[in-house]
Amino acid sequence: MAVESGQEELITLLAGVARHDRSAFKKLYECMSGRMFGVCRKLAGQQELAEEALQDAFIRIWHHAGEYHSERGSPLSWMLTIARYRTLDLMRARKVRQTAGDDMLETIADDSANPLDETLRADGASALNGCLEELSDSQRDSVLLSYYKGFTHEELATAMSTPIGTVKSWIRRGLLALKRCLER
Amino acid sequence: MKKTPERVERLAAEYVLGTLTGGARRRFERWMMESWAIRQEVWFWEHKLGELAARVPPVAPPASVWTRIEQRLWPETSSAKASTGGWNWLWAGWSLMATAAVMVMAVLLMQQPEPSRQPLLSGAVVQKDITDPLWLVAESGEPGQLRLKPVAATPAEGNQDYELWVVPEGDGNPMSLGVIPVGKDMLQIRLSPETRAALSVSRTLAISLEPKGGSPTGAPTGPILHITKLHPLE
Repeated sequence: MAVESGQEELITLLAGVARHDRSAFKKLYECMSGRMFGVCRKLAGQQELAEEALQDAFIRIWHHAGEYHSERGSPLSWMLTIARYRTLDLMRARKVRQTAGDDMLETIADDSANPLDETLRADGASALNGCLEELSDSQRDSVLLSYYKGFTHEELATAMSTPIGTVKSWIRRGLLALKRCLER
Repeated sequence: MKKTPERVERLAAEYVLGTLTGGARRRFERWMMESWAIRQEVWFWEHKLGELAARVPPVAPPASVWTRIEQRLWPETSSAKASTGGWNWLWAGWSLMATAAVMVMAVLLMQQPEPSRQPLLSGAVVQKDITDPLWLVAESGEPGQLRLKPVAATPAEGNQDYELWVVPEGDGNPMSLGVIPVGKDMLQIRLSPETRAALSVSRTLAISLEPKGGSPTGAPTGPILHITKLHPLE
């Protein structure tokens, strides 16, 4: 499953899928489904929705592979982004947090000194050329919680026991600082 | 809302992050459709934040996900693969058929339903290019009392017979209902409670070509000529 596929190979496979070559599609699934499913599951926090999102993502890739181009980033990040968006869509459509997730939110809130688990923080910290290190702890945690867990402003405010206006400003300033760093 | 560069920059980042929600998210998607520059701003973030997603360890999805993708994209060809176990023999036989006896489902209301807990089932075995059904099948009087009437069926070639089967749902083996006639004779078949239970779930019958007197093994040995779905008489 953990086939480390070169970007070139992924581009070749995507080109095949754009021509509706089913065997290329199957290979692409074999290369990418594990990575994409990891993202879907981390985000959704539940198996069933993650499976559905992964299906949706691959069906989208089948129909839209031809829309990939290098300006959209690497084929890897393009496909992971599709997996993320499909998962977010399903989570929002089903109000996953409001129903199934309340307990989890409370657990996180109880542990409010550090709502972001350490693995997430470590995963994120070394990425992005170290630019995340330039953010304040609150800015970085709120950005990473939104990215990895799909938290909305409201959910972040609850999870971090902080007024929503403050959370919004952390996100806004955090992203701006991140961009300035990345552009350097 | 004015599309100032600062606003576009902020909204694109929040769009990708996912904190832009509801109506604001949809409004921004319209902006993206209208402007290449706005899409570029979004791609910048998708690309950069994609690095974070790439850090997530892979998790193997269950095999059923791929099956469901195939079913959604190619329902016409994937249904055979989706069926497993007891169905494999059937599809293998089906694909062997050289002279494609194409099945069309048909419902024939032959009688009024009797009051009973379980609906009575009926259907017809038909073949493309033949106007009349080959056989009519219907439960009569009570569930499990199956009557089969040959109409346009012709005798099997060579020293062979037609055999009728109940195809259960899922992995079970087909259950023989015996050799069936052509010509004028109506056949009455009394289903065992077990066979009737399987039929009430799957509502599927199959007809295979077998050596004279029926399959020697108790399972279909010849090609599957027909598959038909029964429908409740209601």
